[in-house]
Amino acid sequence: MDYYLMQLVNGLSQGAIYALMAIGYATIVGVVGMVTFTHGEVIMIGAYAAFYAFSFFAENLFLGIITSFAASWLLGIVIYKVCYERFFDSPRHIPLICTIGFSMLIKNLAQIVFGPNMKAMPQPIDLGFINVLGVRINTIQILIIVIVISLSTILYIVNSKTRWGIQLRAVSQDKKASALMGINVQRTTMIGNCIGCGLGGVAGMLLAIYYQSILPTMGGVLGLKSFISSVLGGLTNIPAAALGGILIGVTENLGTAFLSNSYRDVFAFVFLVLVLIIKPEGISKKVGGRP
Amino acid sequence: MAEIILEAKGVSKHFGGLKAVENVDMEIYRGDIFGIIGPNGAGKTTFFNICSGIYEPTYGEILFKGEPIRNLNPEQIARKGMARTFQNIQLFKNMTVFENVRIGFHIRTKTRMFDAIFKNKTYQSDEEFVNEESMKIIDKVGLSAYKNTMAGNLAYGIQRRVEIARALALNPDILLLDEPAAGMNPIETNNLKEFIIKLNAEGYTIAVIEHDMKFIMSLTNRLLVLNFGEKISEGTPEIVKNDQNVIEAYFGKGKIAGGENS
Amino acid sequence: MISNTFENVKKIYKKHAKIINIVLIILLLIIPRLMPNSYLMGIVCRILMYATLAGSLNIINGYSGQFNIGHAGFFLIGAYTEAILATTYGWSFWPAMIIAGIVTSIVGFLVSLPTLRLRGIYLAIVTLGFSEIIRIIALNWTDVTGGPMGIKGIPSPELFGFRISGPVDYYYIFLIVGILFLFITNRILKSRVGRSWISIREDELAAKSLGVEANRAKSANFMYGAFWAGIVGATYAPYYKFIASDMFTLDEGFNILAMVIIGGQGTLIGPFVGASIATLISEVFRFASQYRMVIYAILIIVMMWWRPQGLVGAYDSILAGDDKSLKKRKKSITQKVGDN
Repeated sequence: MDYYLMQLVNGLSQGAIYALMAIGYATIVGVVGMVTFTHGEVIMIGAYAAFYAFSFFAENLFLGIITSFAASWLLGIVIYKVCYERFFDSPRHIPLICTIGFSMLIKNLAQIVFGPNMKAMPQPIDLGFINVLGVRINTIQILIIVIVISLSTILYIVNSKTRWGIQLRAVSQDKKASALMGINVQRTTMIGNCIGCGLGGVAGMLLAIYYQSILPTMGGVLGLKSFISSVLGGLTNIPAAALGGILIGVTENLGTAFLSNSYRDVFAFVFLVLVLIIKPEGISKKVGGRP
Repeated sequence: MAEIILEAKGVSKHFGGLKAVENVDMEIYRGDIFGIIGPNGAGKTTFFNICSGIYEPTYGEILFKGEPIRNLNPEQIARKGMARTFQNIQLFKNMTVFENVRIGFHIRTKTRMFDAIFKNKTYQSDEEFVNEESMKIIDKVGLSAYKNTMAGNLAYGIQRRVEIARALALNPDILLLDEPAAGMNPIETNNLKEFIIKLNAEGYTIAVIEHDMKFIMSLTNRLLVLNFGEKISEGTPEIVKNDQNVIEAYFGKGKIAGGENS
Repeated sequence: MISNTFENVKKIYKKHAKIINIVLIILLLIIPRLMPNSYLMGIVCRILMYATLAGSLNIINGYSGQFNIGHAGFFLIGAYTEAILATTYGWSFWPAMIIAGIVTSIVGFLVSLPTLRLRGIYLAIVTLGFSEIIRIIALNWTDVTGGPMGIKGIPSPELFGFRISGPVDYYYIFLIVGILFLFITNRILKSRVGRSWISIREDELAAKSLGVEANRAKSANFMYGAFWAGIVGATYAPYYKFIASDMFTLDEGFNILAMVIIGGQGTLIGPFVGASIATLISEVFRFASQYRMVIYAILIIVMMWWRPQGLVGAYDSILAGDDKSLKKRKKSITQKVGDN
């Protein structure tokens, strides 16, 4: 029983990371209005940025968050320029293929620049355990959940209270109308894209700390999982996407407890097919965007 | 009295809180040129989309040749013999006029993969049929000159004709035309009117959406008037023309209309 | 300019189709006599194999406008089906190949099923996920697939008691498969079936309003494309005599996709051009697959920027974008979005 409880806790903390990835993904799809395949690579770059920050400067968690967020933000600008900016009026498959190409580019450049092998991730905080109701909980797990919740709260406040957030929501609802209202649509879209990327980058760092390792090809499956989490919210609904991420994290960890660990990535896919069969439009009505 | 070909019974369509179409009844008889009119945003196109299966009605039933079709999707309804055109022309823009019309013959031919691979009798007779009939329809609609032109490069009015030609390829029992005269100049509109009357004389039942009163009054034999999703009048052009509700919907209350208040 | 040249070539070809086809086929048949070098023949074999494989993907992406990005998964199923039938059950190559094609097409049907009613992007994700899952299963289901060791010693096919082995012999198998593929596909595309696929690609709503059963046509299209992926997979397995799950990664899928996109979607010749270019690039960067993938990636992006339909793709289709000139497109964005 304890074992399953522990797996549940593992699932929740891992699900929290997936939720952060998915929040980023849903933000991007909502604002840009196009589906992206680059998110996995954005996550990977965030993880590597934190890795180098830890290795060269200090093993400071706050520094890691800032670096990974900034690095992914910058990558977000490039992605916007390469994959979206000129394609708002084109048929949808063109920017989509462009993101596939860009994701291939980053993944393979990363293998050339960072080296193709797995590296150990420095641990910015000491490993400790807390006993809660007889379940040993890792301090990192608690930290992950705290960081994810605080970042989501910040995003929520930015989205609902600030001028930026209002512009972002306006743009994700209707680009033409926003332009008529005097919003700089291109810049706002880019910022929305960058915020989503930045969150993905932090998620990448957390994941690397959680697994204590990084790999240039880690992005592929993660990008897929971000998408699958967002499917639950019709790709653009942020809270539903977060819920999807948590559900996938829990399913994966409980699933591997019953089945073999080698089938870990299968669960997310099964989850996707189930959602598509049962509730293809997601649990909420689509708001804005045209993915 | 002729057979009812398309019948709507208490049809409603709600989008969230918006009642786009509310409790509309309609009967179209075989041989009619039936008009659906109303100001912009009256729910005409939504109503057409319900009839042709693009939307499922929230309430109510649609009967086509006596069969309920509310649960059928557009392709099934097309197969039953209903063809339509679209308000914002849905041509295959990158295909020639000839190719556009050929696709219209989809349901009247039977070639499967197997037939195509071996070029057997089914394939040959289908291809022959499609090519000949396509030419006939193109001639009939007066598009022979544009046969090999890319549909997307044609003028607006001609594109509408191509869409009608393509719909005729289905040999439909009823033809729904969604604002066929939009964007046409008066001469084109007049030609279109004559063309629709000619088609009707050949035995096609036709339903037309339009908001141009003059056009529709001289074309149709019966009318349905929608406003804010509800039916406000129905009958022959004469009846509708003098209906106080219609006059109010089009010209507002009081003053100009009718003249008695001025 | 490219499209003009391509158009002219097409015109000339159409005029003398029969003669050119016969000359081409004779040329293709005697290539091994002119070039008895087995290294070069190996490259030619790869080009032919990938041309058919990319062609099968082009059926799905280029002709019906669906979006499959996990083609490696179907390739894997074809290869494993043949390999398992040939090694474990001792089947001969030819029936095993047909079965591999059929199995793959059934799997294709199942994969396309949950997304038929949804927008294309969901199919993309499902195929991507499927491709990765099927690889994980092949890697872990040791009893059947040999797990990480893969399947070794896949027997060479025999034809009339003559054992086919080595690139020169295989060249003919790949050639026959490729020609059959082109021949059959060409006939289907020029019939009612192919027209319905293209009509869905161009405008699904219009196609439906004309009675084209879009879901059914899309499924059939997907199955047909998957069938040929299975056939190519089945010919691939005995050619390399050994298959393992890491030959069918997502990268392999992107590799195939890159061929279709670079060469051109929506034409029969496009995938052949793409496969030739990609195979030559991969020959040059033989020892650094990352550099190869970087070049593919850049080529894909370049294509999307300036020539979305690919080098020799169907320029007269939605694949080429709405506005044919980029300047016009950029202008229309700034107009719509405003440059405040």
